[in-house]
Amino acid sequence: MIITDVLRYTFTTLKGFRMRSALMLLAMAIGVAAVVVLTSLGEGAQRYVSAEFASLGTHLIVVLPGRSETSGGAPNMLVGSTPRDLTLDDALALTRNSSVQRVAPIAIGTSNISWQGREREVPILGSNSELLELRHWKMNKGRFLPNQKIDNATPVVVLGSKVRNELFGAQAAIGEWLRIGDRRFRVIGVMATEGRSIGIDVEEVVIIPTASAMSLFNNTSLYRILVEGKSREAIPRIQRFVINTLRERHQGEEDITVVTQDSVLATFDRIFQALTLTVAGIAAISLAVAGVLIMNVMLVSVAHRTAEIGLLKAVGASSRQVMVLFMTEAAMLSLLGSAIGLIIGWSSSLLINSLYPGFDAVTPLWAVVAAMGVSLSTGLLFGVMPARRAARLDPVQALSSR
Amino acid sequence: MRINDFIRLSSGTINAYRMRSFLTTLGIAIGIAAVVLLTSIGSGIHQFVLSEFTQFGTNIVAINPGKATTYGASIGVFGTDRPLTLEDATALRRLPYVTAVVPAMQGNAEVESQQRRRRTTVFGVGPEMLDAFQMKIASGKFLPADNPIAPRAFVALGSKVRDELFGNNNPLGQLLRIGGDRYRIIGSLESKGQFLGIDLDDAVYIPAARSLEMFNRNSLMEIDVVYNDGADVDEVVASIRRIISARHGRDDVTITTQQQMLDVLGSVLNILTFAVGALGGISLIVGSVGILTIMTISISERTGEIGLLRALGSTQTQILLLFLGEATILAALGGIAGLIIGVGGAHLLHLAIPALPVHTSWTFVFLAEALAIVIGLLAGVLPARHAAGMDPVDALRSE
Repeated sequence: MIITDVLRYTFTTLKGFRMRSALMLLAMAIGVAAVVVLTSLGEGAQRYVSAEFASLGTHLIVVLPGRSETSGGAPNMLVGSTPRDLTLDDALALTRNSSVQRVAPIAIGTSNISWQGREREVPILGSNSELLELRHWKMNKGRFLPNQKIDNATPVVVLGSKVRNELFGAQAAIGEWLRIGDRRFRVIGVMATEGRSIGIDVEEVVIIPTASAMSLFNNTSLYRILVEGKSREAIPRIQRFVINTLRERHQGEEDITVVTQDSVLATFDRIFQALTLTVAGIAAISLAVAGVLIMNVMLVSVAHRTAEIGLLKAVGASSRQVMVLFMTEAAMLSLLGSAIGLIIGWSSSLLINSLYPGFDAVTPLWAVVAAMGVSLSTGLLFGVMPARRAARLDPVQALSSR
Repeated sequence: MRINDFIRLSSGTINAYRMRSFLTTLGIAIGIAAVVLLTSIGSGIHQFVLSEFTQFGTNIVAINPGKATTYGASIGVFGTDRPLTLEDATALRRLPYVTAVVPAMQGNAEVESQQRRRRTTVFGVGPEMLDAFQMKIASGKFLPADNPIAPRAFVALGSKVRDELFGNNNPLGQLLRIGGDRYRIIGSLESKGQFLGIDLDDAVYIPAARSLEMFNRNSLMEIDVVYNDGADVDEVVASIRRIISARHGRDDVTITTQQQMLDVLGSVLNILTFAVGALGGISLIVGSVGILTIMTISISERTGEIGLLRALGSTQTQILLLFLGEATILAALGGIAGLIIGVGGAHLLHLAIPALPVHTSWTFVFLAEALAIVIGLLAGVLPARHAAGMDPVDALRSE
């Protein structure tokens, strides 16, 4: 029997029982489509987060005060203060290395901001002129904080677009004096509406020079220091430099934690990978159910087609050939079903992409291969038993059953 | 047709095609088992998280400096020009219903005793912390009720710090150097474990006023207020707000009740459990397609039988009910098998990985079984209607 014969025979059978074949294809398609859509969503989420991190720059080091003896546990749990502050002078010391591109000291807190009787409580971010480039933010109007000595507490402020709208409405904000806490600041710029970047809502933030923020909050310690390296290769070197420098400045005590962008990114990647795999695995259970269905229907169809099998054997088909025929049928059902499922899955991913621009749901190749592979192997696995039953039929008895 | 005839006819056919019925049931069973197992894990985690939070008691109100923003938590914790002071804490203690007030400050410092050093968390707290957070002292005593503004330099150790620094020796009465200052050890606490990634045993507890001085801060990070069981939460919150407004000139703090936190967490976890259950439900849909397929096949096989029944005087409704009943019984059997597999699997999983909390909620179990029956009914409708609509003469002739 040649291969085209096998295929034509199988195809005719499937066409003969249209309703039944359609239902089995549907079952397989649902399973494969579920796997494809869910992995696409997982992959999309992972890409989204990676892109967010990349927007911070890939060669970034974050220095935070405090250190925990037992490693593990998220570093952002270290919200507390330390007896030895992370100071502006520390930040200044970190600029003295040829591999360091930019250093931005960060101090944060909340305060009231008011202008002509309108008042609001907002998060205040104290930083320097480097922050704009370092976080890849854009200005809408005016300019960012001036490039000045790090301990100069100039009374200038840059507003997020939402804060600007709520305080000033339609009026011009640039050049106005407003009050933050008990001090007066002059508005020199407004941030572009860029939405949210990790940790900070750009629309809602108010940025003033670090020294001003520290005196406003009566606080001598920085919240973080962001250090950007010139290249990715320089990161380990800079990390050693940061730790050594700060240890020397802090009387030989290592009381800081240094987090690299890469390690944070790797953690997120691992989490998302695990999530995607879990979700895909759960969806793949439905593929097993579809396999059971194929087996069931094939068994029924073997019982129906006893006479036909008898005839095949009587005209000289071997048991092996009958077996191949039925296995081909199972394989064809799974393949067709998963092809339909792939199409459904892909088009729903495209639909999701067009509904939520900015979210990039891409079906990873491994998911496609895995879904196809699993569906084909379940089809074959569950096809074995009915095919063997058909192959083992005695031609004489099978023919006489009519 | 009598009800037991009806049941006998339906179950008779299921019995006659054993293999086929078994496989159809298996499809549904896998789906239900997946749903039950996944929701069991989901609600197990739910309970675990809730118990993490309630281990400190449920009658707690937390006050943080600064108004909460879209970030969820107030970032006033890191710095604010409107500080929350020890005097605020003292004032709140005088409110009705309030049984304990704990001013809280957290930091990180190196502690040293007899040449042994360790970097650890330093909590600045008040003397009422033990009652408020349901913690216990293992030996010695906790911080005494000194003048809150100028307390003596005493420290109580978390169990891990005690073990690391002193081993089997008695720490009581020894001096401990924390961030350059000397403190006398007056007690060590029983182990309390981790909370949200912070190890409460790897910590030392000193008076709040001294921690403010050590960390050079003007504001507390949090004030925790514990109230009577009988008191109304809203009333307590309102009175706290009143006191703070009077002292600060305006309402500039974030007040979070334990109940609010539990509610938010609970709803998030419920959504998660539900989502995971729904994912498992995809296999149920596939299983229902299975029932549909098998019923369609079985009706086309039994055309003659249907014709005979109709010729003997069965009404269309009876035929419809007969086949609907068959589909439902298949689904219900599958559901029960799935429940057994799912619940058993959940318990096996718990035995294999004791760290993974598992809890089978009966509502989900009943929902899953009801779902299976509904699926059977829905999947049976189309084939059963087809069977009922057959012309008796044509049906009989097809034999």
